[in-house]
Amino acid sequence: MKVRIRRFDGQKEWWQDYEVDAKPSDTVLDVLNRIREKQDHTLAFRQSCQMGSCGSCGMVINGLPALACQTRIGELKTESIRLEPLYNYKVIKDLVVDLNDFVNKHRSVKPWMIRKNPEELEEAPTEFKVTPEQNLTFVQFDYCIMCGICLAACPTVAIDPLFLGPQALGQAYRYIADPRDEGFEERIDILDDSHGVWRCHFAGACSYVCPKGVDPAKAIQYLKKDILKYRLLHKKKASTKPAELVQKAPPPNAPKPPPFDFKVEGGV
Amino acid sequence: MPSKYSLLKESWNMILMYALALIMIFVLTFHLLLVSPLTGRTFDQLLNYNYVLQNLTYYRIVFGLLLYAAVIHGLNGLRIVLIEWLHVKRFQWAVNVIIVILMAILLAFGTYTLIVL
Amino acid sequence: MGEEKKEKRYKSGLLRSLWPYNFNVERYTYTLHRITGVILILYLMAHVFEIYHVALGPVAWEQTMALLGSLGIWEKIGLWIIAGSALYHGANGFRLILNEVFGMLLGKPVLPEYPYTPTSLSRNQKIAIYLIVLVVEALWIWAGIYLLWGLGII
Repeated sequence: MKVRIRRFDGQKEWWQDYEVDAKPSDTVLDVLNRIREKQDHTLAFRQSCQMGSCGSCGMVINGLPALACQTRIGELKTESIRLEPLYNYKVIKDLVVDLNDFVNKHRSVKPWMIRKNPEELEEAPTEFKVTPEQNLTFVQFDYCIMCGICLAACPTVAIDPLFLGPQALGQAYRYIADPRDEGFEERIDILDDSHGVWRCHFAGACSYVCPKGVDPAKAIQYLKKDILKYRLLHKKKASTKPAELVQKAPPPNAPKPPPFDFKVEGGV
Repeated sequence: MPSKYSLLKESWNMILMYALALIMIFVLTFHLLLVSPLTGRTFDQLLNYNYVLQNLTYYRIVFGLLLYAAVIHGLNGLRIVLIEWLHVKRFQWAVNVIIVILMAILLAFGTYTLIVL
Repeated sequence: MGEEKKEKRYKSGLLRSLWPYNFNVERYTYTLHRITGVILILYLMAHVFEIYHVALGPVAWEQTMALLGSLGIWEKIGLWIIAGSALYHGANGFRLILNEVFGMLLGKPVLPEYPYTPTSLSRNQKIAIYLIVLVVEALWIWAGIYLLWGLGII
């Protein structure tokens, strides 16, 4: 199988071809590892978990940004593979891109729990309660592994590097939708900017390429809706009051829950 | 990172865009119907001076609404395209100024046309 | 961040932004929406000046019409493209308003399960897009026939 890789050594860029033996069940990352072990040890790429949960091996495979560890050769249905570094990023070497801007954008939307009373975060009386129904409103966007693939697919990021990007906006919505969070007003000051949420025109490419099904495009559209609601009707995202959030301690004379049965049915 | 001191929050800008878009869906449909075969006229008859004049004077308010909606929505859209493309700060300032000037020129010409007739 | 532009990012730029090949249908609609928008604003500028000649009297108007008429078939083709742009931009814009302002056609947040089909790009969205394409195509063909009729071809 022929593999074409876009190389970059800090000065010049070129395409390099490799001939590798590969089974259809091999992943693209397996092929890259084989090249580095057997043929060319100067080839640079990121990898860590090899199972689609760290988000290190994002690259453009046959023109579509994807995780190399999750793409099998058989799925591609092509004679040869074309590998490029992620679009819209500065390339450091070969398939390794500079994720600094990406991480800074993520940080700029304050991706953490904001409470009006910060003491609640330091010393909460008990745990913060979230019902399964409330959890379902944001847990999808919590699955983000920060692989940066969505920014490589986004048409706005391609022309506007100041745009926050699907990942940061999706994460902003994940915290805004969280009933424990109270930082809506603080966050929309950042999001409602000339390079913020409104530069998304719903091309949906981010959701299309997302390897974890996070669907950032949906989060951004909901974010727009929430911001419009806030501006026009002054309606804030419904956040639960602290009194409801704090789980009440059980009364002292409450019956004890039955001990959990670890026995597996039918024996081990 | 996003600039802290934008004069107008972008959401008000977009609210204007959405509102004008909704207005234009109706007003522009009306305008297109006036120049469609449903009027029973041929292409050349539609461009007849008297027909155009009659339409412009009879539906003056509708055309005024369309003019303002289309110019503001359209140039604002162009501004969005340009500030994404030319994202360097000093270009953004220039883009905003050029758009405002263009808007003023177009609205002046359009309003003059509608008032004089 | 203002100095960002000097540093080269891999394959970014206007072409990458507008080139939807390999991606989803929504990205094609994005490209078309943007291109038709630019066509329409350029036409609008010309159109306002064109109509301004009505205020200058019948002679000026006839001269303008004669000038446009001298373009021959290109005038009709241009108008046809503009009519298509307006139809598409309006219909797709309406879908975007449903999406962005009212949060419709997006689906509810779900627990992602393999193979991770995003609900925002799922059936409802596709139906809306194909409906738009169908209606716009039909009206556009109608407009084309009408313009050719005006040209005396039909």
